[in-house]
This record gives sequence, C-alpha cells and structure tokens, in this order.
Amino acid sequence: MDEKYRKSTIKSRQEVFTDRVATRIWNETPSVNNPYIAESCQCHGYDLHALAHHKSFSDVIFLLQKGELPTPPQSRLFETLLISMINPGPRHPATRAAMNAGVGKTNPAHILPISLSVMSGEHLGGGEVTAAMTFLRKHRNTVPQQVVDDLLKDNFRPDEGDWHIAPGFGSHYGGIDIVPTQIAEALLKQPGKGAALSWAKEFVTSLHPHSLGWLTTGVAAAAFLDLGFHPRAGAGLFQLAAAPGLLAHGLELANKPRTALPFPDDEHYFYEKKKTAVTKDERKKYDEQYR
Amino acid sequence: MTNNTDNAGANKTNAYETWDKQRGAIHTHIGGWEIGVSVTTYGHSLIDELVGKKSYFEILILSITGTLPEPRLAKWVEALYSCMSFPDPRIWCNQIGTLAGTARASAVSGITAGIQASDSRMYGPGTLSDVYNFLSFAMEHRLKGATVEGIISSKSRHSGSQPVIPSFSRPLASGDERVIALNTLTEELGFKWEPYMVLVRDIELYMLRKYNKSMSLPMFVVGFLRDQHWSLEQIQQVLSIMVTAGVAACYSEALEKPAETFLPLRCTDIDYCGAGPRTVPI
Repeated sequence: MDEKYRKSTIKSRQEVFTDRVATRIWNETPSVNNPYIAESCQCHGYDLHALAHHKSFSDVIFLLQKGELPTPPQSRLFETLLISMINPGPRHPATRAAMNAGVGKTNPAHILPISLSVMSGEHLGGGEVTAAMTFLRKHRNTVPQQVVDDLLKDNFRPDEGDWHIAPGFGSHYGGIDIVPTQIAEALLKQPGKGAALSWAKEFVTSLHPHSLGWLTTGVAAAAFLDLGFHPRAGAGLFQLAAAPGLLAHGLELANKPRTALPFPDDEHYFYEKKKTAVTKDERKKYDEQYR
Repeated sequence: MTNNTDNAGANKTNAYETWDKQRGAIHTHIGGWEIGVSVTTYGHSLIDELVGKKSYFEILILSITGTLPEPRLAKWVEALYSCMSFPDPRIWCNQIGTLAGTARASAVSGITAGIQASDSRMYGPGTLSDVYNFLSFAMEHRLKGATVEGIISSKSRHSGSQPVIPSFSRPLASGDERVIALNTLTEELGFKWEPYMVLVRDIELYMLRKYNKSMSLPMFVVGFLRDQHWSLEQIQQVLSIMVTAGVAACYSEALEKPAETFLPLRCTDIDYCGAGPRTVPI
C-alpha cells in the first residue's frame, strides 16, 4: 500500500477524554503539608476508622460495592455466603494452581493472582457466576419447570464430562453436588433470602429427576442477585470469597520440598501422537477393508 | 542528599516535587504512537522500518534494550525460547496452563497465569537473578586473582560441604540437553567465547571434576548475555515470557477435553491431617 495513502487514512478519532479521575467510592482529605498524603479517608461518606471499629469486613465489602451498608438480614446472608465459599477445596483447579505455585517456589506474591486467574473460569469459576446471574435475571419471570422443559428440549447431555444445563446448574463429577445443595438450603432459611434464591430452588427441584442440581456458582449467583449485585460484579465477588482458601493452600506448600506434591513418573505419562494425516499404508489398509 | 522520609517531607514545601514533576504528563524515551503519522520505537518507525523487515525477537530486544540487536543475537534468543518450550503438563508452570484450560479460564488468563508461575526460585526466569549475582561475585574475585576452586569453595555453607552454586541443581534431571543445543548454536552463529562464557566454562569444568555436576541452562544463558553487555534487568525482561509455548500447548489441550478431567481427584484422594471435629465457640 502506498505510504502516503496509508498515513492519510489513519486518523485520530479525536475522542474527548476527561481531565480528572472520578469516583463515588472513596474520598481522601489531603494533609496540610503534603497534598499527596491523605489525612483521612471516607468510604461512601463513612470514616475508615469508624468502619474498622464498628463494622465487619464483609459489611464494608458490601458498602464498597453497593454504596450503602447492608441491612442486618443482608449482612447475615452475605457473611454466610462468603464463609460458605471461602475455600473451593484442594481439588478445585484454582486451589491446585495455588498449591502448584507454592510447591514450585513461585514468588509467594503471585500465588493468589495465579489461582484467581484460574478461578476466573467458566467452569465452577467467576465466569460461570456472572453467566448464572444473567441467566437467573433473564428467566425470573418464567415458571422454572417451563425453563427446564425448554432447556431439556433444546440441549443434549454431552457424551462425556459434566453437563451444566444452565450456567450454575448441572452435574458435578456426573452427579448432584451435595455441599452446594446444603449451602443453598442454609441460605434459603435466612430472612435475607430473596426472589432469585427461591426461583433457583424451584428450578433445581425440576432438575433433580435428571441428576442435575445446584453448583457452587449457581448458589453464589442467586444469593448475589438477592443482595442486589449486578452480574458483572459476580465473578470478582466469587473470586474474593474464595481467595482466603486459595492463598492458604498455596502457602501451605510454599516451604515444602517440591516432592510434596505428586509428580507422575514416565510410566504414568503417555505421549500419544495426534493423528494429523492418513499415511499411504493406512489408506491401503482402509481401501482393502472397506472397498 | 534529600531525606525522603514522611517527617522530613512534612517540613518542606517541595517534599513531593518528584511527583509534581510527573503530574499530568508522561516522559518517555521509548517512542510512541502519533496517530495517523507514525509509531516509533527508539527512533525506528515500527511500520515502515521494522514490520516485515525485522524479526519479532529483534523488535522485542529493541523495545527493552533500546538498540536493534544483530540478527544472530535475536536468533539466539529465539532459540532459547524454543529451548524453554517443553509441552509437558507435569512441569509446574505448564500445569497451571492445563488447570486454567480445564477450568475454562480464558486463554489470556490461563497462559499468563502459567507465565507468572515461572517467576520461580526453582526454574524459569525467576532463577536468573541468583545466577547473575553469582557470576558478578565470581568475576570480581577472578579479576582479583582468585582461582575457580577458591571462588566455588567460598560458597560452601561450612568447610568440606558441597558448595551451593546457582544453576547446578536443575529440578528433575541432571545435565541439560538445552545447554548442548544452545552451545552448538552459539558456535554456529560465530559468537566468540568472551570472559563470562570462559568463566562459566571453567566453573562447570571444576564442578564436573569435583562434584560430577554440570550446569543447567540459566548459567549458560546469563553468562552469554553478560558477554553481550546486558544488565540483569534487561535479561529478566527479554526472557520474562520464555515459557509461553509450553504453557500454551498445555492450556490448549486441556481446553479440548471435558472440564475438570485433568488428573481428577476423588475426595478420598486428599489426605486430611488437621484437627478433628470440634464445636464452634460462641
């Protein structure tokens, strides 16, 4: 392409950018002697030290996201959910990534980001929570049994692996996951529960005959919606909830020898060449067999 | 000298001058994008001079060192990246790629998570600083007349014990096929053996003779790049993503398989060895 032409067709969009950063969340009052040093901080108008003295960590997380402190039922529901999701357990890929980083002597500062990166996935991770919140919002005005019937009509169980018939709902290791069911039952007994948890419970009841049920991501999604969170906040909140467990498992192995995690030997490691093309011999054999 | 403590700053009107100078402006030596006119990297037009005419590794090295390298040096770095492309999901950083794939994390999340893991004291680019610092120590003492034996024995924790020399304890294997491959390439490309490479070779000969230990890749790499007059920071930055291909391979394969099927674990596959059941205190 002619250089003159190319340069003349590439132009700035002339977008107008703001001169200043704006936030409704945090206010810092500068010190008298140095404008870069804050003398006090307010979160949505509340003094940081007052929050630290009177409110729980989960209440302030809620405040940061929503702009208002939770009511007592909301506070209890949120706290219960966060503790219930505090550790995905040592078999979850994100936890295993943390453990792997720990035993692999990765810089300990990377353990949490690494595991949270894995926890962002669309299979039992943050990505699925957001998708589940969107799904629940979309179908909230439809009878759950009707949604199940439509999903069963339009989708097929995969030949292998789990089936998440909808984000946040399905099978785990081929069956109905028990602990998420227990968590959901506990949340449903709380006064802070709302329409999303109730709708999802009915939805799950209709799924049970098909060996499908709650997944952790579905429970979190329903509770987050009842607490008034937007789907785009779901992934991060779910990661935040799991962070303490991920970090603990990673650090548990950080000072252990690298032999402290299994390392399959060559006997258990199979290199299987991917078939990329049909060889002449294979063609001949095929022709002989099928012609 | 300016005292930068908060207390000292509080009594000066210009304690935050450093930040004020940078406030609202970016000062860069790199270059930039002048929309519709040019993209410049250290004085070179990216589109007109570099794209299609220089290799990616020449541009990568230029972007970090500020100087266009000889094509053979870029080829050497590319070969090093190839050496670091083991597609085996058992290797720690690769396994994180696999786990990200099996958890359906995005490609960027999964592959960068694996790369992040390679910032390790045990393998990958995280090991380079220890090697670099050891070679600084060794060269300093050699120039003062110390023998290789003296330099190495000074790294023993106590008299008579085996010395702890970085890059002489490769995980999982002794010996390093990658050193042989890179050594051959180094000679094919016509690089001479400069002081650091000579030092590295002398150290390895001593370690082989005395302890039957050969060096692994980081020692060879850092020795070579020090002879190219690269700083530790430049070495770390150019090599920061050298495990990419191996991680990507593992991520890619895991993504093709059903979720969570990589070495799946039953509950009983986990041994719990903590405290027994107890009542929550109220």
